Amino acid sequence: MNDNSTWAFGTRQVVYGAIGAALYGVLSWVTNIFPLPAAGNITFRPAVAVLIFFSVAYGPWVGLLAGFIGNTLGDALSGWGFYWNWSLGNGLMGLVAGLVMSQITDFRAQGQIIKAVIYGLIGIAVGMLFASLTEMFTGGIDFNTALFGYFTPAFLGNAIVTIVLLPILMVAFAAVASRRGR
Amino acid sequence: MLVTWKYRPRNTFIQRLDPRTRLIFMLCIIFAFTIPEIWDYRIILPLFALSLTLYLMARIEWKDVRRAWIYIFILVFFIVGLNGLLSGRGGPSSVTNLPSPVVFEVPIKIPFTEIGWDVPVTVSKIWFALNQMTRMITMAILAIPIPYTMDPNIYGTAFKRMGASDKVSFTMDLAFRFLPTFARDFTITMDAQRARGYEMEKLKGGIPTRIRKLAPLIIPVVMQSTVTGEEVIDAMDLRAFGTRQRTWVKDNLKYAPRDYLILGIGVAAFVSCCVLKWVFGIGEYFVPDFFMSLFV
Amino acid sequence: MPNQPLIIENLTFKYRTRPELALENISLKVNPGELLLIAGSSGCGKTTLARCINGLIPRSYRGERSGQVLLHGREVADMQISEIAQVVGTLLQDPERQIVASNVFNEIAFGPENLGLPRAEIINRVDQAISRLNLEYLRERETFNLSGGEKQKVALAGVLTMNPSILMLDEPLASLDPASAHEALEVFRSLADEGKTVILVEHRVEDAIDARPDRLLYMEDGKIKYLGPIRDLPPEIDHTKVKLPAPWVVQRVKALDKVPAATPKPEAGERGEPLVVFENVDFRYDEEYPLVLQNVNLKIYPGDLIAVLGPNGAGKSTLVKHAIGLLKPTRGRVLVEGEDTRKMSVAQIARTLGYVFQSPTHMLYAPTVREELEFGPKNLEFDPASIPQYVNESLLTVNLKGLDEYPPLGLSFGQQKRTTIAAVLAMRSKILIMDEPTAGQDFANYTRFMKALCDTSDNAQSILTANFAATIFITHDLDLAVTYANRVLLFGDKHIIADGKPQDVLKDDQLLRKYRVRPTSLLRLNLDLLPRTGRFLPAESLAAFA
Ligand SMILES: Nc1ncnc2c1ncn2[C@@H]1O[C@H](COP(=O)(O)OP(=O)(O)OP(=O)(O)O)[C@@H](O)[C@H]1O
Ligand SMILES: Nc1ncnc2c1ncn2[C@@H]1O[C@H](COP(=O)(O)OP(=O)(O)OP(=O)(O)O)[C@@H](O)[C@H]1O
Ligand SMILES: [Mg+2]
Ligand SMILES: [Mg+2]
Repeated sequence: MNDNSTWAFGTRQVVYGAIGAALYGVLSWVTNIFPLPAAGNITFRPAVAVLIFFSVAYGPWVGLLAGFIGNTLGDALSGWGFYWNWSLGNGLMGLVAGLVMSQITDFRAQGQIIKAVIYGLIGIAVGMLFASLTEMFTGGIDFNTALFGYFTPAFLGNAIVTIVLLPILMVAFAAVASRRGR
Repeated sequence: MLVTWKYRPRNTFIQRLDPRTRLIFMLCIIFAFTIPEIWDYRIILPLFALSLTLYLMARIEWKDVRRAWIYIFILVFFIVGLNGLLSGRGGPSSVTNLPSPVVFEVPIKIPFTEIGWDVPVTVSKIWFALNQMTRMITMAILAIPIPYTMDPNIYGTAFKRMGASDKVSFTMDLAFRFLPTFARDFTITMDAQRARGYEMEKLKGGIPTRIRKLAPLIIPVVMQSTVTGEEVIDAMDLRAFGTRQRTWVKDNLKYAPRDYLILGIGVAAFVSCCVLKWVFGIGEYFVPDFFMSLFV
Repeated sequence: MPNQPLIIENLTFKYRTRPELALENISLKVNPGELLLIAGSSGCGKTTLARCINGLIPRSYRGERSGQVLLHGREVADMQISEIAQVVGTLLQDPERQIVASNVFNEIAFGPENLGLPRAEIINRVDQAISRLNLEYLRERETFNLSGGEKQKVALAGVLTMNPSILMLDEPLASLDPASAHEALEVFRSLADEGKTVILVEHRVEDAIDARPDRLLYMEDGKIKYLGPIRDLPPEIDHTKVKLPAPWVVQRVKALDKVPAATPKPEAGERGEPLVVFENVDFRYDEEYPLVLQNVNLKIYPGDLIAVLGPNGAGKSTLVKHAIGLLKPTRGRVLVEGEDTRKMSVAQIARTLGYVFQSPTHMLYAPTVREELEFGPKNLEFDPASIPQYVNESLLTVNLKGLDEYPPLGLSFGQQKRTTIAAVLAMRSKILIMDEPTAGQDFANYTRFMKALCDTSDNAQSILTANFAATIFITHDLDLAVTYANRVLLFGDKHIIADGKPQDVLKDDQLLRKYRVRPTSLLRLNLDLLPRTGRFLPAESLAAFA
């Protein structure tokens, strides 16, 4: 019931999937309202670092659920409708980043933090590539637009946020986890 | 800031529909366009009319959705504009590179540099842009009314009845349960930090520095949620969650004739798009003569 | 006897991540229809014992367990969690975290749904639980909008639908106003009268006595120190660790012959210019919502030690948030040192007014306690050279010295709370405002820091004399008002009902009850002795007069 292995799916994954989704939804919605500094057409969504953190801490299923449901909720809260390919892309992002979970035993160790960030970046690349490329069919854009107009800014924005915030979140979590010790 | 889920019961045809019907219908229309890749305005327009009718039948107030519409228009213009600028090979919109009369040219210049070029706007590009907008809006407007017109308490059951597992369906319900809680926690944290002199408006420094300065807002909320999680797991285990097949008490969803009607239309739209495209080869992009004659 | 609901024999438990034993050699038998009260200070193992009974240990928490826990004769470790759930119903401390559904009906039905019972049976059980606890009016509500007390009742209903024979209640009264707490205790009593075994964990013995417990189990450091009828409580049970009724404390202190000298509290009065002024303040959260504050007038003077009392949801937090400018009045104005809060930013007001939020987890973020404490002074752009001094002084006052390089998120709840107070102290504000400073703390801990913050005897180097011109705290614990305040505000019906010296405001029994404050034994004793004492005193000091 409280299985911690990578592909287990029990109460633990349901709860953190839901909590991750609600947080990701709320935080993306907040940044939709107060947009952060943007450079060119890169807008920042600090919530992405939270999604990657949940994936790293609780595994791929949690990442998938939190990314998919969270993005859907965030869009719905803002009243924007349902963009299935972006929701799925966010889900993939969490899923891939979550593959690192079993390798993280100490959230404070520098080597492990770097590993988590790398998986996070791979996740972001995969997820955003999926969403950008499917946009060719849903939005009718061509390959160049998908690559340079969508993928590149989305990847860069999410990557910067993750590189900056994920280590901070992991170190903070190490302290919390030391107190619980399940 | 309080997350008020904007749902309100209204006595409309749309709200009397089974939630599953609405979700499935939405997917039918999205997939009708995207799987066989339909770009023929003769197919797009009728489906647009259908979506628009359902949207209007939901009778949501304009002030509720004004922001959403502004967003959608910005998004659409952005996509269409970007597409015009960057268009190259590959993807559906490469069709716009077909030889076609140039209507006018837009000079583009990258600011602070000497680099620039002229983008020719052809008849084909204009028609494609119109098609693209209609097609995107058709897909978007089916989803916009959902938060306003679908009871959030019914999503879990709806997913369960559409074949998802107990656990995945309940994840959906639980996410709805926590949404307002975390929005409130975030507000409280923001207030608590402001009371310690933190001013978000005054974030200074380069982009990484500014992002790092968001930590006092994000960390308390996230860490609190991880602690909450452990207790929720206990609470659910102690009430036997996941030990056997669940009963869903609110499982009184039933398809009525009107649901079969809407589902029928949705499935028919999807199937006919596939058949038209793959069997008869209808659905490709082309510029109709009447549009061409406007310019030539 | 197989039908004994709970037998514990030689139970010992050690968490995997801790070197010391959390429980040591616990043996206990509980009968049907018995109400057992478990008391003891923070960290003594109450929750751990509860986890052993409801099967979370050894199922979810890893560690070394020996001995036996038998539910109706069966070992817990060998039972399915779905079986245990139908024998032991558990109510956790914070109902906010126990509720898993967005709507009341679904919440109550959650357990039976998981058991896969037929729909009609589930609805039947939900209806029974609802009428048992008189919750008809909540049936269709969203759980998010419920008050703390309502959440607690809904969570209890959700547990009752599993038809457990044992109820395990882990500090269920923490966030309730006194009247709601009393109602909850009455419900627990009647459940025991119906034949259920009720195990109630609560370190405020004084409050829990309302439920007329059959026996008391007192724990210290994971061991049983006393088990027996509550009346025969042996004197070694420390009245500074658990909250006992005032007359008992007086007896004990007299028996031990250690009557402390009474410490004088400064008199409240209109001394000098007021620091904060509320002028005809109205407030609503949104145009569509009703007023929360209506025509509130209030002046806060230097030397005030104000306790704010009132029911759950009355608007106490809303009131004090106006003082720091987090909320601005809909009508009327609030002045801080003569300036309208509308014209100031929260950061500016923070120089005058320090606000400690209710839950420490809402503001702790830094990697070390020291950085956490530097956050405020840095934001206010204090001179960098003087910041270390401010930080060190605050650490000293809340007794956190030595933990400065520790991560705040890794501290215990009590230490976290003190960190938040220190973080506000380091900002050197003139006025200190605390929202429910004692919630979730154990008795010994909160007595310690309330003394540090509010004690104003001449020799005590208290924070008040060092830094603050005035202190305000919101509380549901009437005894705090009796012991530490020199001015009491009773808030209800959108405005201030009564404002004055504790002995004047708190003598009106009817008024208190109307606003859901229940007179405590300490208040009664103080009122009785008032002609001789001339002012309200803590229980220990009363021993000199009684
Ligand atoms: N999950 C855990 N992992 C490791 N140690 C724990 C865990 N939970 C509690 N402990 C430790 O076990 C001891 C007993 O804790 P427990 O929570 O049972 O005390 P308590 O009497 O319920 O205290 P409180 O009144 O603060 O709730 C404490 O030292 C605590 O730090
Ligand atoms: N952000 C908000 N938006 C809308 N209504 C709110 C908000 N915060 C509080 N309220 C409402 O205002 C009223 C007063 O709330 P407040 O938190 O001030 O009560 P309180 O006296 O502090 O209660 P408690 O003792 O439970 O802490 C309540 O009815 C509450 O539901
Ligand atoms: Mg406890
Ligand atoms: Mg309050």
